[in-house]
Amino acid sequence: MADVELTSIIGKAMSKSTVVVERGAVTNFATAVVDSNPVYGDPRAAKAAGLPAIPAPPTFAFVMNSWGQYPELQPDDAPTGNPMGEVLGPLMAKGGLILHGEQEFVYHRPVFVGDVLAGEGTIVDAYTKESKGATMTFVVTETVWRDDKTGEPVVTSRFNVIHRG
Amino acid sequence: MGIYFEDVQEGDEAPVKTHTLTRTDLVRYAGASGDYNPMHHDEVLATKAGQPSVFGHGMFSMGLLGTAITDYVGIGTLTAYKVRFSRQTWPGEELRTKIVVRTKRQEGGAHLVDLDCSLANAEGEVKVVGEATAALPSKG
Repeated sequence: MADVELTSIIGKAMSKSTVVVERGAVTNFATAVVDSNPVYGDPRAAKAAGLPAIPAPPTFAFVMNSWGQYPELQPDDAPTGNPMGEVLGPLMAKGGLILHGEQEFVYHRPVFVGDVLAGEGTIVDAYTKESKGATMTFVVTETVWRDDKTGEPVVTSRFNVIHRG
Repeated sequence: MGIYFEDVQEGDEAPVKTHTLTRTDLVRYAGASGDYNPMHHDEVLATKAGQPSVFGHGMFSMGLLGTAITDYVGIGTLTAYKVRFSRQTWPGEELRTKIVVRTKRQEGGAHLVDLDCSLANAEGEVKVVGEATAALPSKG
């Protein structure tokens, strides 16, 4: 029964947003992941390294939604529901833990300061596994970030969340 | 910064990056990521929830390991990077990266290296384990 409801969220839209990749956010994030490479703070260092602009660290794609999500740039057809919450909310109400199980990025090109990226997230998988007497519920979302000007994909992020009951 | 495809051999290991985790790291990562889950900065709430102390964001571990990877293969060369989170990280732990070249291959004109990578503490307890692929410049 629970499995039927769970699989029904596969394919549902999770998010739609547009972000501006900001210099301060990128430089600050590089410091936070213990990267002191000057290319993350100075466009002259980036140019000297053969890069067209200040690049973002590889895992910045996970957090860029937190910054530069300007209200005037947001699409007006963003999904309103929260299919992941529909599944995990009732589970959390009964207790247990939410864990970040796996994270994957596929880079079509590096992310650079100044990029405007449009992201669309979809639930691509949902399943349960029994482990040591506990039910583990897995929900996988995939967000594809495209260059807002060209429509070309820039980075794809796969986020695997686990509820351990 | 970075390396050429010809300079890499299968089995090569990247320089190890070590970092002793502090509570300041956790606060800085919370601020830089926007992830304010109190388990990562509020010792009172974390201990009430049964944790020995605050603990690191999984994505901090992936980020730190990512720093060691780009130190080795160069910034802007990654085509894929994924990890599985296996253990929490704790303030005071010395975290160490391990990055090994698994395969070298050429595909559609690209010079690719596949890396096995992990982050562990000084006792060898693995925190995250994963793999990455980089497209390296070639001298040819």
